[in-house]
Amino acid sequence: MSLGLLGYKVGMTQMFTEAGVVEPVTVLQLGPCPVLQIRYRSAKDGNRDVVKDGYSAVQIGFKDKPRRNATRPEQGHVAANLKSKRKDARQKAGVKLPPKADVEPQRHIREFRLDKAGGFLDPKSLTAGPEQATVKVERIRATGDSKKPFEAYTEEMTLKVGQVLKVSDVFKDVLAVDVIGTSKGRGTQGVMKRHGFAGLPAAHGAKKVHRQAGSTSSLASNRGSGRPKKGLRRAGRYGNAQVTIRNLAVVKVDVENNLLMVRGGIPGHPNALVMVRPTNKAGPGSPKAKTKKQEVVAKKK
Amino acid sequence: MNAPHIQLVEQTMVRSDVPDFRVGDRVEIHQKILDGQKERVQVFEGDVIARHNGGIRETVTVRRLVQGEGVERIFPVHSPRIARIVVKKAGSVRRAKLYYLRDRVGKATKIKDDVKRQLKIDADLKAAAEAAAKAAQESAAKATAEGGMSKSAQKKKAKKEAEASKKK
Repeated sequence: MSLGLLGYKVGMTQMFTEAGVVEPVTVLQLGPCPVLQIRYRSAKDGNRDVVKDGYSAVQIGFKDKPRRNATRPEQGHVAANLKSKRKDARQKAGVKLPPKADVEPQRHIREFRLDKAGGFLDPKSLTAGPEQATVKVERIRATGDSKKPFEAYTEEMTLKVGQVLKVSDVFKDVLAVDVIGTSKGRGTQGVMKRHGFAGLPAAHGAKKVHRQAGSTSSLASNRGSGRPKKGLRRAGRYGNAQVTIRNLAVVKVDVENNLLMVRGGIPGHPNALVMVRPTNKAGPGSPKAKTKKQEVVAKKK
Repeated sequence: MNAPHIQLVEQTMVRSDVPDFRVGDRVEIHQKILDGQKERVQVFEGDVIARHNGGIRETVTVRRLVQGEGVERIFPVHSPRIARIVVKKAGSVRRAKLYYLRDRVGKATKIKDDVKRQLKIDADLKAAAEAAAKAAQESAAKATAEGGMSKSAQKKKAKKEAEASKKK
């Protein structure tokens, strides 16, 4: 997992490329996202290593929520000067209070892990504390050279509590992204729609059984336990589950309106919450492969 | 789709130089085509039998007869590959989609002229032709001033341009 942004799926439209080819694009409204908290593994206390969160991540919010609709914990999570008896008591006792972003309560809050390999983030370069984290991110820029059209370079990003992340910061020189969303709920569905079963014949003597799963299981399939194995695919609730679509090409970044245009469709309906990050795909066709492949070609020549 | 952000995206791509043409009109669609390395313009002339509105996704269906065989092509109106659209004739029809023309042959395929709009279209075409001729003359004059061309080559070019402007 690498650093990304939160946003809404706006909908789909089409765009013309410079060559005049129509590209189907999904418009995403991303950010601005304030950094609410830095999760960090451990802190030094003298010689002891005190485990704090146990992992490193950045917690970001999206969309302000009216204060009257926010609960007190929600307000206290973001507000720097919300009065509370417990806070006063802790302050008096000399406990160092965690830093606050000092923004409006947020409607959506999610975390992006900073300590996991994959993507364009280098977890080895990470230094994280309660106030800020710095990490190296890899970006890819076009060189304009036909032999090696793309080259990678690294950039250090500092994340501070209270800092506001924008599309221009996070998706600068990013060729492709992963989109994590929630698919449309389809209610109870049969095995053909839900699991892609082939169904039974339409003719050849099939009577009233055309969309059934067929034979489910014998008792022997689970070593005579008397029940079928766990995870047997059957009819039931379909959709409304987290779906990740990886390696979607970035067509355009509209910094002014906080919009990101990606090629192709993404899960969910318009106005659904999505998490977007630079892709962690590393195989053929990924942005990383693009930079590497061209290098080899250049060497051969 | 009425989402304001979608409109923001589409606005930047919508072309403002699309002429006012309607279903039933005869139009020329000038389409840029990549021929190997070179780019050339192909012209398709025919009757507009349908317009499919949709902002940036707007398309136009043009029908013409080629050697007795009906040919229909669908063009995206706002595509950058469309060099320009020229309205030749104004038609007067009572339908939004003229699919019934597909089942007709000969005289029955004729579309009634819209005389009122035709006047304006003729005037526009004339003005455009004059402007093109003037521009050609100026460029020719510029070429002579720079002295880059022989006299015969110039004559040839001027003749060609005159013909081209006549055609328009």
